Amino acid sequence: MSMVVTSPDFRWGLKFFKYLEIAKVNYFTNTTYLANFLSKSIMVVLRIWIFTQLYRVTYATANENEIGGLTVPMVIWGLMIAQSLNTATRPQLSKLIDEEVKSGVIAYSINRPYSYILFHYFGSMGRFVSNLISNLTLGFLAAFILVGPISLSWNGLLLGSLLLFFGYTLDFLIDLMIGLISFWVEDISAFNWIYSKSQLIFGGLILPLSLFPDYLRNIAELLPFSQLFYSGSRLIVNFDFQLFQKYLLIQMAWLVFFWLLVGYVFSKGIKHVSVNGG
Amino acid sequence: MFLVKGSNMSLLTGVKYLSLTWEMTKLSILSAMEYRMSFLTQVIGMVINDIGLILVFFILFQKFPSINGWHFRDTMLLFAIQTVNFSLVMIFARGVHRLGRSITRGELDYYLAFPKNVLWHACVSRTDISAIGDFAFGIVVFFLAGNVSLEKMATFALVSFLTAWMLFNFSVVVQSVTFFVGNFEEAAEQMFHALLGFSFYPQNVFHGLLKLIMLTVLPAFFITTLPNQVVQKFDLQILLLMFIFCIFSFLLAIFIFKKGLRHYESGNLINVNM
Repeated sequence: MSMVVTSPDFRWGLKFFKYLEIAKVNYFTNTTYLANFLSKSIMVVLRIWIFTQLYRVTYATANENEIGGLTVPMVIWGLMIAQSLNTATRPQLSKLIDEEVKSGVIAYSINRPYSYILFHYFGSMGRFVSNLISNLTLGFLAAFILVGPISLSWNGLLLGSLLLFFGYTLDFLIDLMIGLISFWVEDISAFNWIYSKSQLIFGGLILPLSLFPDYLRNIAELLPFSQLFYSGSRLIVNFDFQLFQKYLLIQMAWLVFFWLLVGYVFSKGIKHVSVNGG
Repeated sequence: MFLVKGSNMSLLTGVKYLSLTWEMTKLSILSAMEYRMSFLTQVIGMVINDIGLILVFFILFQKFPSINGWHFRDTMLLFAIQTVNFSLVMIFARGVHRLGRSITRGELDYYLAFPKNVLWHACVSRTDISAIGDFAFGIVVFFLAGNVSLEKMATFALVSFLTAWMLFNFSVVVQSVTFFVGNFEEAAEQMFHALLGFSFYPQNVFHGLLKLIMLTVLPAFFITTLPNQVVQKFDLQILLLMFIFCIFSFLLAIFIFKKGLRHYESGNLINVNM
């Protein structure tokens, strides 16, 4: 018996179970208030409704059926996926960490028998999954009604979803990184705004990168913001294996960079934690 | 005689509240300025944030110089009006966005104990410092949008004030829903952003049911479309229509808040307002 308990596989399994429970708790907490929960999905529907009218008129004015390899329905489905994922990451983790640092709760969190970073990763995942199910369900219905179906490939769906999963992890790391800045800076709002606006400009949340002028698209594709939710959604709506290889490479490079950076900043930051009794 | 006396009284009360609002906001800004670095980070950060937002549309119009006759210059004017009216609400009545939170947590108790109007006090008790950056950005963009004349400036100022008032009314209505459903904090925030969301896009692309939503549930037509039209080309009728909607939405906001306040359940928290 003791051999089973001490076996590394079993301990790993127990640890994973612990984090899975954290994800589950966050999943159900997030769905408690229905109005709050559904409001994010309704926002996604409203946005893609606006985009449909905007891009229909834009394409008609330009007298084009396809721009940058994308038709209007492809643009709308791509935006729906990117918006659903981006909205599902709310509330931003950095704000939660900022509150933990300001209130001093972090002093207790880092001493609990779990990894602080994994705790937040799985906690965010729980909230993200619950939001995503609702966003994608309503978003799918809205896109179907507004622009009709588009043809998808299995390769696009599988490999695009893989990029979206890595994109979620990249977003988590950047958001965590911004949250950790609160160890040194009193107000991290400015960093949050800059990050969310960079996502808006280069993350294809309003304007798909395929519609960018060429010189700007080449730059934007190399930035981490386009590798969050744009790259995956772009490949789902119009798969291109060469583009997949390119995006995967850029995404991996940014993942490794932010993973190392977060590790370094976290180890430096916890040395700044001072506990005041009371 | 009584009527004249009554209207004088309410005018005097209005002036008193306006002057109190000014004093409270001034105090908030002065105390925020004590932390100079934080103050500057917030204001400059917001300007960068706004530049980022307008950049998206700059890129769009680089690719499509005209969308149904709408140009980047028109979008600039839209941004100018929207950032100024938004900033006016956030500078003078930031508390309106915390109404839902205060209601859920029973934090309105603090304001109920004071002799002044509860809604007014809860709203003006907070100032969003970063909104100063929005305000400055909006003014600069207005001048950059071109064709500035004295008449246009006056219309811009009037329209900004009216639309700020409408935004405030809308926020009171959606935040007050919390009184009836228990927790509506995030949904109210999302509805506010949905309303603002309309103000980024060319206004001549909207039609059908979406336009109906802009006229009713999310009154972006009155807060974005009409103001843009009236600043582009002065029209007294449009201005009058905006004024009527402003008064109507204000009365509706007061009515819903008052109704809701009767449902309010006090908390047992002891809060220190800082």
